[in-house]
Amino acid sequence: MSAPRRALLTGAALLAAFGPAACVSPAWDDHDYALKAGKTAEAAASAVQLARTAVRHEDGTTRQYLKVVLTEAADDLGNVNDQFGGVQPPSDASERLRGEVTDLTEKAEDEVHDLLDQVRRDRVRDPAGAVRDLGEIAGRLSAFAERHK
Amino acid sequence: MKKLFAVTLGILTAFGGFVDIGDLVANAVVGSRFGLSLVWVVVVGIVGICLFAEMSGRIAAVSQRPVFDLVRERLGPRAGLVNLGASFFINALTLAAEIGGASLALELATGVNYLLWVPLVALVAWLVMWRVKFETMERIFGLMGLGLVVFLVALWKLGPDWGELAHQLTRPPQDEGLPTYFYYAIALLGGAMTPYEVFFFSSGGVEERWTSKDLVTERANVFVGFPLGGLLSIGIAACAATLFMPVEAVPDSLGQMVLPVAAGLGKVALGVVILGVFAATFGATLETALSSGYSLSQYFGWQWGKYVQPARAARFHVVVLAVTIVATALILTTIDPIMVTEYSLVFSAAALPLTYLPVLMIANDPDYMGDKVNGRFSNALGMVYMVLLLVVAVAAVPLMLATKAGQ
Amino acid sequence: MTEHARTLHARLHLLDRQVASTDEDRLICKVDDLEVRTGDGPFPYVTAILSGPLALGPRIGGVAGWLMAEVDRLFRDDPSGEPYRIAMGRVTEIGSAVRVAGQPRDLALERWLARNVVGRIPGAPRPEHEEDAATEPEALEAQEVAEGRARREDGETLRMSTLLARVVRDDSGNVVGNVVDVRLVQDGPLLDGVQLAFRLAGFVVARRRAGQLFGYERAHRDGHPALVAAVVRRLHGEIRYADWDEVASLGDGEVRLRVPWERLRMLDDL
Repeated sequence: MSAPRRALLTGAALLAAFGPAACVSPAWDDHDYALKAGKTAEAAASAVQLARTAVRHEDGTTRQYLKVVLTEAADDLGNVNDQFGGVQPPSDASERLRGEVTDLTEKAEDEVHDLLDQVRRDRVRDPAGAVRDLGEIAGRLSAFAERHK
Repeated sequence: MKKLFAVTLGILTAFGGFVDIGDLVANAVVGSRFGLSLVWVVVVGIVGICLFAEMSGRIAAVSQRPVFDLVRERLGPRAGLVNLGASFFINALTLAAEIGGASLALELATGVNYLLWVPLVALVAWLVMWRVKFETMERIFGLMGLGLVVFLVALWKLGPDWGELAHQLTRPPQDEGLPTYFYYAIALLGGAMTPYEVFFFSSGGVEERWTSKDLVTERANVFVGFPLGGLLSIGIAACAATLFMPVEAVPDSLGQMVLPVAAGLGKVALGVVILGVFAATFGATLETALSSGYSLSQYFGWQWGKYVQPARAARFHVVVLAVTIVATALILTTIDPIMVTEYSLVFSAAALPLTYLPVLMIANDPDYMGDKVNGRFSNALGMVYMVLLLVVAVAAVPLMLATKAGQ
Repeated sequence: MTEHARTLHARLHLLDRQVASTDEDRLICKVDDLEVRTGDGPFPYVTAILSGPLALGPRIGGVAGWLMAEVDRLFRDDPSGEPYRIAMGRVTEIGSAVRVAGQPRDLALERWLARNVVGRIPGAPRPEHEEDAATEPEALEAQEVAEGRARREDGETLRMSTLLARVVRDDSGNVVGNVVDVRLVQDGPLLDGVQLAFRLAGFVVARRRAGQLFGYERAHRDGHPALVAAVVRRLHGEIRYADWDEVASLGDGEVRLRVPWERLRMLDDL
């Protein structure tokens, strides 16, 4: 889901009453913050894995299609970053946690954006390498999510 | 070929229940999160919709009375109006989502942003409803939608561990909470049995001028169309369970959910599946827009239908046009179509008993049915489903709130 | 005439059914209400089908009903405030739909939309009788309005819906139940010289007020989903039938009986 869509959705009066789950509430303590960090990593891992799957089967896709799927992944990652960035870490320990997560998610976002640029110009230059890199990032995100359940 | 044409009404109707925009993505989400552990719900849904669609189609064939006539007649003007309000609201929301869905399919094919396609899709949909004959309409989009069958081929090509898939049938994954599991169960059941399917199916039977002699055709439509729709929806879930579940990826868009086809079969199949997705969502667009007109006209007793000249059914055509415009405006606000259906699915689950109870009652009324009333088996099963639908109706909204819509 | 006059229940068999024309297979309206003439002969009888927002609105009541009637007023030129009316003499068949003879004109909203909206969209084929349709309805309308007025002048009328859900009191004035349906028998006065009117034969009275009976009071009918029937019957408590002979008056929005509750026949005995 792309960022503007979700942002506008959140504001949509029609559904406002039902409290779309995309909203992020403030963190009360370290534990709560860690849980949120874990959730963020999990969502980011899912987006990275989707992009990785698409690139892995790159030869079975058209350029237009790959563009749409990578754009969605990039938007999802940006969205995840924005939401988590909006939560105030309650302590120094949480501050460190935040660094750990955002390092990973931003790296993922950059990687996907890079791939998207390649697709916009032509095709993915080194699909195997991209699959490897994305796989590694996704693995680290998942491991982080696993630690902070 | 002629036989295939005869069942396109059932196929087109079933798209709205099993593989419209909301269900396409919901099936992929369910497959990637729960594996095949919710397949039993789809099976329950197929049996339920077959049961009630068969009754409503039989009533339409024997007495020429479509479902909303029955709702008004048995529930009376007030409860009928409540049902009308709820159904109409759900229809309009779903219509908006389907227009968005058909536009998203065009975005996948062309890379041009879906919002640019929305007005065009809406205009073409309206033109089809305004000018194209009912049979032509259902044949074109019913048959095109069969492109979704490539999901089943893709599943086979992806070469899943069949033993593992079979194992998932009875084991929900441990890391998902029970409320979330049941939330998705209700969303799937609500999707499979959405009321607009029987509005459309029974009205379509009247549009096609079915009589008591066409009961064989009617049953063929039911027992080919809905199980086929259900099979496609299981195929989509199985593809997602094979490709996405092992890497813990959860698809949340149309583009992502067709990825298994690209992965398994390549570019041509991807093109076919996008065409299928377009046809299914566009078919569902027609289904929901016409159902809005059908339900409102039938409640008030207006002349409706495409079998008469538009000027002879002025109120019906004005309703269809108006609801299409409103839905288009709604989707142009950039509200996410898939999210819209997730909510409307759950609300429609809450409205199910109000639609299916009158159908069950009239299917037993010899004044309407003569000797074509329900048999014991239909009635026994019908009662079981009424109880089930009541439970679902009561549980739907609380579960949605408790699980934050399945997060 | 057959020796056994046809018996119907107003709510179960007539109200809320589709009205269609016999001649050209056209859907016209719903039976939103029925006009009942009282004070003309020994029995009240049904004189017309009433339809449109002005008949349905009062039945729904509340804001929704009011809104419906007001919207309708916008589209009609006739300020009489009378609902759309089809004389019972034109009814040819009562089944899953009520069929009427002739070509009844369309309701106000349909005519307005056909003329001002749908007729202007390119690609709408004109209806064949468009020219007639433009002139004839006014004459027809005037005739029907006049007819309705004449009828109202020579006898009191009331609407069937106002009889349903009335409180029923027994001979000593105690509340004993509510009207859940009205039984009609087709042996009333001759209508328009073609067929006999449905006269009001009596009331189906339930102890508890729980909406409609859906025909489940007629026990032991085969095939009914037994559970639904049981639930509906249970909700209503005891159900009895008050014949017109046992009714003292219809005054004050109530039904007054001449006899005590126990003297009424059980519905199953009918």
